[in-house]
Amino acid sequence: MVRWSEWAGTVAPGFICVTESRQAGRSPGPGENLQKWLVSLPPTLFLLAFLVAPALLMVVASFQQVGDFGGLLPVLENGQSTLSLEAYRFFFGDWIYAEIFLRSFLVATATTLLCLLLAYPLALLIATGGKRHRDLLVLLVILPLASNFLIRIYAWMIVLGPAELLYTPFAVIVGMVYVHLPFMILPLYTNLESHDPALLEAAQDLGAGAWTRFWRITLPLSLPGVWSGSALVFIPVLGMFAIPELLGGTRDILIGNLIKEQFLDNRDWPLGSTLSILLTAAVLLLAWLAAWAGRPRRGRA
Amino acid sequence: MKSLRVALAGLLLAVLATLVRAEDVLYLFIWNTYLSEDTVRRFETQCRCRLNQDFYSDNEEMLAKLEAGAIGYDLIVPTGNAVETLLRKKALRPLDKTKLPNLKNLKTEFRDPWYDPGLRYAVPYATSVTLLGYNATRLAERGLPTDTWALIFEPQHLEKLKGKVTVLNSQRELMAAAMKYLGYSVQETDPARWEEAKRMILRAKPYWANFSNSTYIKDLAIGNIWVAHGYSSDMYRAQQDALEARRPFRIDFRTPKEGAVLAVDSFVLHQSGGRPDLAHQFINFMLDGANAADVSNLIGAGNPNAAATPHILPEIARNPGIFPPSEELLRLEMLRDFDPKTRRALSRMWTEIKVR
Repeated sequence: MVRWSEWAGTVAPGFICVTESRQAGRSPGPGENLQKWLVSLPPTLFLLAFLVAPALLMVVASFQQVGDFGGLLPVLENGQSTLSLEAYRFFFGDWIYAEIFLRSFLVATATTLLCLLLAYPLALLIATGGKRHRDLLVLLVILPLASNFLIRIYAWMIVLGPAELLYTPFAVIVGMVYVHLPFMILPLYTNLESHDPALLEAAQDLGAGAWTRFWRITLPLSLPGVWSGSALVFIPVLGMFAIPELLGGTRDILIGNLIKEQFLDNRDWPLGSTLSILLTAAVLLLAWLAAWAGRPRRGRA
Repeated sequence: MKSLRVALAGLLLAVLATLVRAEDVLYLFIWNTYLSEDTVRRFETQCRCRLNQDFYSDNEEMLAKLEAGAIGYDLIVPTGNAVETLLRKKALRPLDKTKLPNLKNLKTEFRDPWYDPGLRYAVPYATSVTLLGYNATRLAERGLPTDTWALIFEPQHLEKLKGKVTVLNSQRELMAAAMKYLGYSVQETDPARWEEAKRMILRAKPYWANFSNSTYIKDLAIGNIWVAHGYSSDMYRAQQDALEARRPFRIDFRTPKEGAVLAVDSFVLHQSGGRPDLAHQFINFMLDGANAADVSNLIGAGNPNAAATPHILPEIARNPGIFPPSEELLRLEMLRDFDPKTRRALSRMWTEIKVR
């Protein structure tokens, strides 16, 4: 009796924090240096223990062999190494896995763009609206996160079912956008809220229209918020398996589902690890490309 | 400082108190909703001990937790293929049958399972069949058959059911259904026959709504889905839900005539358990007809215990989907795990099925 049940959420392919660093104007003294070290020690240890160590374990697992009952064969057996490239060879052996990767990246891109399109006006509205309502509006954005993820997805099933839209690619995108929207709104709002209104006033005094003001001042200044929001949406969507499984039809398999299947249904940890690693590598490559594309250029205001 | 000392003293007292009370505890690792509270209470009174239950919802989950080092469970309730896994890992303790006089209550057809011939390690407790649940009203309106896998594989039937069918999101279960329909064994590994099954599945797939392991219960009960491939106990729940909600249709389920997958969950003693004496006492208690009936009355599971029958609600005991008649039982097969290489090949094919 194999039963699907209490899991929910994502196979996280690793995460990326996009932060704005502020350069210190002067070099710190020795005491300050030590203090910095001490302060950053716990988070560093946390990252080492819960991000780097599991990632390394996964790398090793991807070269290991499947045990007779699932799990992994020991790395050494009778003094002989059992490591092999089999899982990688299997992955690159035909196009089908690459096809799923491509499809997942398309879904993630579509979700990110839609989130951006919906979140930007809303974030702008909250950030520029009256101070009195701001906290309330932000609270309303966060509020859905207070109820269980599965319950919210089931609610969508009830909404989409009678409309004959359930179990379609459309339903998957709707679910993805819905779940990840707050993660786009919040960084955007934080960014937009910190803009100095004097800039816009100055631009207006110099004769810039509303559109020019947005295009030349607000948008360029908000790009860091756009990038961090996009990263917060794009990457979890890549690893998401619950939404395609619950809302998707018979063709809506994404990379997250594939990884989950290797671990839960198929007990093929090496292949699952291989898929995870390749996904992480692809995401890092994309993040690097994005950083490269968004690198600061001289001569622009 | 003072409050710290008080807290420490309190902690010490609490530890002492538990040591003094050190009562007998039986640790169970079991499926959710397999025991009623009433039964638990009766056993606790009888043995003057406490039952501690931890739950799992999936054999893989249970095996993974044991693999990760969970110890101290006296009793576990795995399905047949998981019993085999545990046996080959030498993780189980043999049964002492002198302590299990109620073993005589077991039906003869469950006394010699492939994973444990002669019941040396495992005592069958609950069964389920992977079959077809359907909206009897809608199917009758369209003049469709209900007793064959053709319903989910043949385009001639599926034409009338487009978007109203779900199948299990499980490579083993769906392949088993396809194999049974084609007249082969669920353990079939011949690549040519796999290919044949794959073609048949791909031909039927455009008509299916989705692959579902749990949402079909709700979808059947509210009428979104008319035919679902799934477990008999889930179908029973969908049927009861539809009845309670007074839906204008009737949900029913039955085993297709070509045969299907049977799952048997059994009590086994784990090596790491500290109280085999209590564990035997519990198994014998659960083999008593009135207690054995629990699992059938609670979740509509099939029952390998003959003495349980009079204690099972008649509508459940008479349901052929839950209790297959003996001639049908012969056409049921249990799943055995494939070796790693075959598993990967099947997974590759499954991925292809999903993508196309």
